[in-house]
Amino acid sequence: MLLVQIIANGVLLGGLYGLMALGLALVWGVLNIVNLAHGAFIMLGGYAVFWLFDLAGVDPFLGLVPAMLGMFVFGYLVQRYLLNLVVRSALLNTLLITFGLDVVLTYMAQLLFSADFRTINPSYAGSSLAILGITLPLARLAAFGMALFLAGLVWLLLNATQLGRMIRATAQNLVAARLYGVDPRHLYALTFGIGAALAGAAGGLYGMVAQVTPYVGASLTAKSFVIAIIGGLENPFGVVLGGVVIGIAESLAALTIGSTFTDMISFGLLVLVLVLRPARKLRAA
Amino acid sequence: MKRLLTWAVVAACTVLLAAVPWLGDEVTLQFGINALLFAVLAQGWNIIGGYTGYASFGNSVFYGLGTYGVAIAMAQFNLPFGVGIVIGVMLAVVFAVALGLPILRLRGPYFAIASLGLSAAMGAVFSNLDIAGANIGLILPLARNDTMFYELSLALLAVATLSVAWIAASRFGRGLIAIREDEDAAGVMGVNTTLYKILALVISAFFTAIAGGIHAYWITFVDPAGAFDSTLNVRMIIMAVFGGPGTVFGPVIGAFLLSAVYEMLANSISTAAALVFGLVIVVAVLFMPKGLMDLGWGFRRMGLRYLLHNLRRSRL
Repeated sequence: MLLVQIIANGVLLGGLYGLMALGLALVWGVLNIVNLAHGAFIMLGGYAVFWLFDLAGVDPFLGLVPAMLGMFVFGYLVQRYLLNLVVRSALLNTLLITFGLDVVLTYMAQLLFSADFRTINPSYAGSSLAILGITLPLARLAAFGMALFLAGLVWLLLNATQLGRMIRATAQNLVAARLYGVDPRHLYALTFGIGAALAGAAGGLYGMVAQVTPYVGASLTAKSFVIAIIGGLENPFGVVLGGVVIGIAESLAALTIGSTFTDMISFGLLVLVLVLRPARKLRAA
Repeated sequence: MKRLLTWAVVAACTVLLAAVPWLGDEVTLQFGINALLFAVLAQGWNIIGGYTGYASFGNSVFYGLGTYGVAIAMAQFNLPFGVGIVIGVMLAVVFAVALGLPILRLRGPYFAIASLGLSAAMGAVFSNLDIAGANIGLILPLARNDTMFYELSLALLAVATLSVAWIAASRFGRGLIAIREDEDAAGVMGVNTTLYKILALVISAFFTAIAGGIHAYWITFVDPAGAFDSTLNVRMIIMAVFGGPGTVFGPVIGAFLLSAVYEMLANSISTAAALVFGLVIVVAVLFMPKGLMDLGWGFRRMGLRYLLHNLRRSRL
């Protein structure tokens, strides 16, 4: 029974992990930018939902909407007026500039919000659902459902809309997409904005199940990266599945060999996936 | 003739730097040790990242192994410092070969992230090893001799830079550059790419581990979080790239300049120092994506237009 409970915990946590990685995978797959500031975006989303809840009493799940909108606008501007300037330069340069952005956002958050731990604690935070002897915390269950819902939206966006076709075309061949009338500057910014909005949503949900501090960004970026690689970049549900795999692996590792090994397990899985399947096609949204 | 002049200037600078313990005060000396060790790390990264084009985020593992080699030898077995350095270097070199074989097959961001993952994993391994003091860490015997640490660091930097200069001029270095520019083509031309890449990683690991060992003995304390700190890795990359990756002196200049900038910022606006540091990185990538060395060269050719030229070349 304990084992089932642990796996259930892992699945719920993994859904959230998957949502965290979704924005990173989208941006990486389409723009070929590995956004090292992704974790900082998640952190900003967490703060946005926290302050909406703390100052204005907005329910955190409702608060996700303005947080996502705000992060979308922020992401659009960052890509349009900053990252578009270095998109064609070497990989290391896009890594460095997003790392610089990560540092700026982290310390800006520290100056503005202080280094205190923040948790979003709505009235229903403590309640849980018991099915067949397994306890499912309500907030985590709702976060999991939200992650699946947003993954579905991204799938619909990519596969059933004109914008999605433009995004996929750009990912496959930038020059050809340009010839067919896609404005890549605008489209890159839109895609990056969507990625940032997803990070914002993940941040709000993260704030309900864990503590938000200005410094959570770096470790969340690393985790998102691992999940994006394990899940692949082509399918949003694949990314969520990758998150679930990592969530279960971490929960099991914490149970059997101690929680200090959780990072080792996820990165060990990553290296294994990379070495065993190096030639895998990752760049096809 | 020009090359002779360059080396004369470098030799003069080295002599000047070697005299710092007798000219400057204690604070300068401590800043100097840090800056010199960072320059060694940047130079070590330069070999695998700058010349070979493999953006390693795992060099902090070699640093950590060097650190722990010295710490375990001195704190647990009462061995002298030199033996500790040898143990640390051996650990790092063995690890570089064992690791290089699987992960140097990966390219681009995949190599970067696999090496990042390994550095995170190593921290976890050492925080569970009793001989390494587990989570608590190890305390080394105290050696109050900053002058010695300073001259050791300077000597190490000199050897590392000379080695890079030799690599840059040798057939081996040409092979590494060929791998960076086009690995498949290099292979077809007869470069033994696997051997070259592993050798580059081993040389990089060698210098990085010694720097870690010196640092451990200097601060006399070692713990997993400090020894396998991945931000350290990011810092050495930034310094190397800021100065000019794939050049002999760029990483050293980058490390000195950024260390000085960071020190000044930390003194004047302590809380916002890191923030401004981040802005410096962003602006540097925008306007001089090839580093300071290329900036100097570009300025002589086209003046201020060089900055705009860089922007135009890499924007969408």
